[in-house]
Amino acid sequence: MVVVERDLRTFLRFKVLIIMRSIWFAAQVAFFGLIASRMVVPALADIYFEYYVAGVVVMMLYSASVFIGYDIFEEAEHGVFEYLLSLPVSRRELVLGRSIGGGIRSFMLVGPLIAIALFVIGLANPLNLLIALSALFLFAFGVSGMSITIAVTLKSGDRFDIFMGVLNALIVRLSTAMYPQVFVQRASLTYAEISRFNPVTFASDMFRWGTGIETYLTMVPMPLAAIVGLVVFFFTFTLVGVAVYEKRLEGGGWQ
Amino acid sequence: MKAVLHMIEHDLRNFFRYKWWLAGLISMNLADLLIMAVVYNQMVSPEIAKVIKSYLDFFAPGVTVLGLFASAFMIGREINMEVRRQIHHYMLSLPITRFELALGRLLAGGLRGMMYMSPLLLTTFVFVGFPSLPQFIAILGALFLLATGISGLSIVTAVSTTSFEKFVTARGLVYYILFFCSSIFYPLSLIQTLGQEGVMPQAIVVLAELNPLSSGADLIRSFLLGNPPFALSMIRNLIAFSVVFTTTATFAYMKIIERK
Repeated sequence: MVVVERDLRTFLRFKVLIIMRSIWFAAQVAFFGLIASRMVVPALADIYFEYYVAGVVVMMLYSASVFIGYDIFEEAEHGVFEYLLSLPVSRRELVLGRSIGGGIRSFMLVGPLIAIALFVIGLANPLNLLIALSALFLFAFGVSGMSITIAVTLKSGDRFDIFMGVLNALIVRLSTAMYPQVFVQRASLTYAEISRFNPVTFASDMFRWGTGIETYLTMVPMPLAAIVGLVVFFFTFTLVGVAVYEKRLEGGGWQ
Repeated sequence: MKAVLHMIEHDLRNFFRYKWWLAGLISMNLADLLIMAVVYNQMVSPEIAKVIKSYLDFFAPGVTVLGLFASAFMIGREINMEVRRQIHHYMLSLPITRFELALGRLLAGGLRGMMYMSPLLLTTFVFVGFPSLPQFIAILGALFLLATGISGLSIVTAVSTTSFEKFVTARGLVYYILFFCSSIFYPLSLIQTLGQEGVMPQAIVVLAELNPLSSGADLIRSFLLGNPPFALSMIRNLIAFSVVFTTTATFAYMKIIERK
C-alpha cells in the first residue's frame, strides 16, 4: 500500500501529461470520431461514433498505464532506485505495488473521461458496466506490469521510449480499439489473427459490452472470453514482471 | 550566407542525434499507413469511395504531411531548451549576426522536416503513382514552404513559453487542432458538408479550409489522384502561412535571445 500511495502521489505532479491527454481525448472524440463516423459504411455509421469513443477510452487507459515505465527511468537517473531497494519492502511487494499503483493512477486519469464517454454512449446495464470496469482494472494493472517488465529489461531510457512508441503504434492499430474485427479480417488475415489475441481488443470488447455496444464484438462468448484474456494478460505480466524485476535489480544497481 | 550554412549544419547534426526518436516516429507513420489506412480502406462508405477512390491512396499524402509536421516542429523543442538553459548566450557570442542566426535555425527546421519526409513521400509515390517532373518540383516547393512555416510556428511557440511543460502543452494543442481540423484523415468536402448541416461549427470548417496541412496534403493529392482538383488557393495558403510564421519567428527569436 505504501508503494501504491507513493506512485499515486508522483502521478499527480504530472499536470502537463493530464492536460495533454485530455486535449488528445477531446480532439479524437470531437473531430476524428465525429467526422470518421460520417465516412464509414452505412451499416456501421449509426454506431461508429459511440464505438470509437469507447475505443479512445481504452487507448487512453493503455497509454496512461504505460507511463509507470518512464517513472522508473527517472528514478534510475536520479539514483532513487538504490533508495527504494534499501526500504524494508520485498522486491515482490515493490513490483506488485508499482503495478497496482500504475493501474490505479491511470484509472484516476481516465475516470473523468470514462464519465464523459458514458454520457456520450449512455448506460444500458449498470451491472455489466461494473464487471467491465473491474476487468479494465486488470487490463491497466497488466499494462503497468508490462511497462515495468520492459523498462527493467531494457535499462535504457532511449530504447524504452522508442520500443514503447513502436509497441503503442502496433498494439493499438492491430486491435479493435478503432475499428471492428470484421473489417480488420477483410483487410488482412494476419492482422485479424494478431488482433484476436491482443489485450487491447479484450479491453475494448469488455468496455463496449459494459456500455451496451454489443454489435461488432470480437470475443465469443462475451464477457467470459474477454475476461479470461485479461486475467491471463494480468497474471502473465505481473508474474513475469516480479521475476524480471527481482533478477535485474538484485545486487542493487541499475547499470 | 556562410554563417547561415553553419547554423543549418549545426542543427542538422543535432537532428541525427535523435535517430531513435526518428525511427520511432517513422514506424508510427508507417503503422498508420500500412495498418490503419488498410483497415479503413474496407470501412469507407461507397459515397466517400466515389470521392477518394481508395482510403490508402487518400491517406498516403496525409501521412507524408503528418511526418513533415512532426519533424519540422522538433526545432522548437531544442530552442525552448536552449532558452531555458541560457545556451543562447553562447550563440550570441558567435561571430554571426542575430538575423543569420534566426534565419539559419528557421531554414534548418524546414530542411529537417524535408529530410524526414522524403522516405514517406517516396512511399506515397510507390503506392499512389509518380508525378511528372514539373508536378514533382511543385510538390517539393510547396512542402518546403510548409516545412519552413511549421519550423517558424514551432520557434514562435518555443520562445513564447517559459517552461518546458508549457511548451509541451502548447505543442499538443497546436498538433491536435491542426491534425484533426484538416484534410489529412478525411476529405475537406466531408468537413464542409458537416458544416453545412450544422454538425460542425463554421469556425472549424474555415480553419480546416485555411489549414496549411490541408493545403499541403490536397496539393499532393491533386497531382497524384486528381482529386481534389488543383486550386491556386492551396499555394496561396501555404505562402501566407510560411511568410507569416517565418517573419514572426525570425523577429521573435532575435528578440528573445537578446533578452537578459
